[in-house]
Amino acid sequence: MSPPATAIHARTIAVFLTAFATLFGLDALLFRTRLYLSILEPGSTTGLFELTLRSERQAQAENGDNLVVTLGDSRFGYLPRLANELKPRSGYVFRSAGVAGSDPRSWYYMLRDLDPTARRYRAIVFGVDDYDDEDTYIDHDEDMRALHYAIVRLRLADAVDFTSSFRTWRSRWEAVRGIFLKGFVLQRDVQAFLSHPAKRIDEVRLNRRGFAYWTYTYDEDPRSLAGLQIDWAAWKASFPPSADPVQLNTVKHSLLRPVAPQTGHFAEFRRRWYGRILDRYRGSRTKIIFARLARGPVVRPDSLVRKKSASIREFASRPNVYLCAEHAFDSLERPELFKDAVHLNREGCARFSRMLVEEVAAILGKP
Amino acid sequence: MLFNTPQFFLFLAAALVLFHAAPRAGRKYILLAASYFFYATWNPKFLALLFTLTAIDYSAGMALERFARKKLILIVSLAANLGFLGFFKYYNFLAANLAALLGRPMRSFWLDIVLPLGISFHTFQSMSYVVDVYRGEQRAIRNPIDYALFICFFPQLVAGPIVRAREFFRDLLDRRPPNGGDISRGLFLLVLGLTKKMAFADPFAILADGYFSNTAGAPGRLTAWSGVLAFGLQIYFDFSGYTDMAIGMAKLLGFHFPVNFRRPYLASSITEFWRRWHISLSRWLRDYLYIPLGGNRRGAATTYRNLMLTMLLGGLWHGASWNFVIWGGYHGVWLSLERMARGDRPAGQERSWWYPLQALATFGLVLIGWVFFRAKDLPESLYILRQMFTGAPGRILIEPWHWGLAAVSLAVALAEEQFDWLERLAQAPGWAYATALTALWFCIEIFGVVDVSIPFVYFQF
Repeated sequence: MSPPATAIHARTIAVFLTAFATLFGLDALLFRTRLYLSILEPGSTTGLFELTLRSERQAQAENGDNLVVTLGDSRFGYLPRLANELKPRSGYVFRSAGVAGSDPRSWYYMLRDLDPTARRYRAIVFGVDDYDDEDTYIDHDEDMRALHYAIVRLRLADAVDFTSSFRTWRSRWEAVRGIFLKGFVLQRDVQAFLSHPAKRIDEVRLNRRGFAYWTYTYDEDPRSLAGLQIDWAAWKASFPPSADPVQLNTVKHSLLRPVAPQTGHFAEFRRRWYGRILDRYRGSRTKIIFARLARGPVVRPDSLVRKKSASIREFASRPNVYLCAEHAFDSLERPELFKDAVHLNREGCARFSRMLVEEVAAILGKP
Repeated sequence: MLFNTPQFFLFLAAALVLFHAAPRAGRKYILLAASYFFYATWNPKFLALLFTLTAIDYSAGMALERFARKKLILIVSLAANLGFLGFFKYYNFLAANLAALLGRPMRSFWLDIVLPLGISFHTFQSMSYVVDVYRGEQRAIRNPIDYALFICFFPQLVAGPIVRAREFFRDLLDRRPPNGGDISRGLFLLVLGLTKKMAFADPFAILADGYFSNTAGAPGRLTAWSGVLAFGLQIYFDFSGYTDMAIGMAKLLGFHFPVNFRRPYLASSITEFWRRWHISLSRWLRDYLYIPLGGNRRGAATTYRNLMLTMLLGGLWHGASWNFVIWGGYHGVWLSLERMARGDRPAGQERSWWYPLQALATFGLVLIGWVFFRAKDLPESLYILRQMFTGAPGRILIEPWHWGLAAVSLAVALAEEQFDWLERLAQAPGWAYATALTALWFCIEIFGVVDVSIPFVYFQF
């Protein structure tokens, strides 16, 4: 006699629930423990983020109590090695936890694990393009790179919070799926590992040994845009004869770009994520400092700049939050100090590193 | 709404809930409404076409039982179906050939025609019904709702399997709700099909699309073979994955569709390949084309002619291009040659010791055929074939992890061939069923293409 239909339905439901629980367990075993994370691709977004975090954790143990950490994207072109040459004068050790392409959303999760007690640093310095908020064509809310940077740091408890920070349902679905089953986010990493496992293990070993040293001793590209001129009325740029395609492209996309519609999304994004970071450090001894970075080799005219709000200036009213002088780094806004339209070159980074130390030390005072 | 999107699964969940909550007599109305909604999400304008074809063939079925001039009714019905199919699918093909013949610009008689979704499938299904009624093998369906559902049933509306009327109405009129075994097997097939599509077909689709979108930019023997192999694996996993999902969904709704694929790449001859590949189409072509043409009953020459005609038309059914005709002809030639070599003996039922070589050779021949199927035109097909046989070595496009996927699927296929265990897995002990589901989901998680929805290959037909 065959079993009744309800018993078969109950069995099917039990089988599906068991299968899902097993899948979740398998995923957790691989991606929530060191099992796979110890062999992440060092050059991937996740791998770079994790290597940086690891290297900064080590630096916490090796350096004294006067640590200043900086967070920013690739535009925050300063070199801790040069900044630390001024340690005898400033009294502070500078470290960088910034990762190219990252944003305040990923920094929040980075800091949560880098500084769990919110007391480890004397100051955290954020490099920002402007203290005012101008929407560009980059939609920060929808930037899925945040999921890839922070995936290892994300916990189940972040599901609602992190997911709801994306605007569209499609991105939210991608985010929630990744938080519950991290393999979805790390699948390309796994596929590459399965293709060349020995090569990966070698790369991981090499990076474990050398990453901290390479990044600390890194020196920026000496190329420059010296000779760049922009005729804003004619909307035309004249390049030096040696300009390469990257330089041409970045000038076109970053400087000669039309004004984007001002939606207020960027201000909202900054308020949300910097706001959360500041909330973590409320009442802490750690000071939060914002530095307005040099805007570019040529500054866009005021007629092309829209500023409807100033979230960073608003933060300055909170205790423990400081802004570097707004025009402190304006002297770097020269073509000969930029390697392309957005990044400082070797000389620019060197000057900026020293100027930043002066500014931060002035805010922090003697240790 | 593609089968591999979250939107479709929301739609399916809603349809299943409504179906199972409704009284038995009302369930077909739910299915009909869901099917029309599903079709309308693609392009609601073409609902009118679906209604028209449904009305014509429903009326033809009724008329065939009432009136004496059966042949005329049959011709009118077939002409209507083929007329719509011909206009939407083949008009521009014919127009372009006519223009070329007259020495005029290619687009002289061109019309901007959108190919209605699934038209090749539902017209064939509809025609088979009318022919069956004409032959007296099927009673005319009295209830227009029943007939409409036969034409537009959403699990198989877009890409089959092409179901015979008696198979469909047996389940519909029986009104028996799906039993526990159906639900269990249906859900398993749904997951299996989705895995085949997302974790196996789509990664190979990315490779194949990359190669076929710029064949001139990727010369070389190994490059061409690996690009074609990628497409061969893509189309199998894609279509059989879709079919598994369709059969699985049908089971969840109380319908039992015939199997459409039986591990075709393990075939030891082209004849056997066609008994394992797209079985519902092969069966349709056999019953409504090959046998009416005389089949193999009128001597060798007629048999070869019939084989060639069937395969040429079968090729053309796939798409309006000479490449599909050549693809069909290519298979027709091999079928004829095998028939010639075999005589009246049935095609390889028993495996000989050299079966692995036969299977490998057959797979190679099928891959060569796929070149015509996938390349955009004849010159590109010939270029790829030249690269495959006379090109410089080039580089292999397939990454080691892709080989791993292919090896896993080969192992599963060999085990399935021997033990037929996949179908029975749903009745296996709970831990075995759960382990299989976990393995399938894990494949989707690690290998599935989840950033983009790659359309099913056969949705374009």
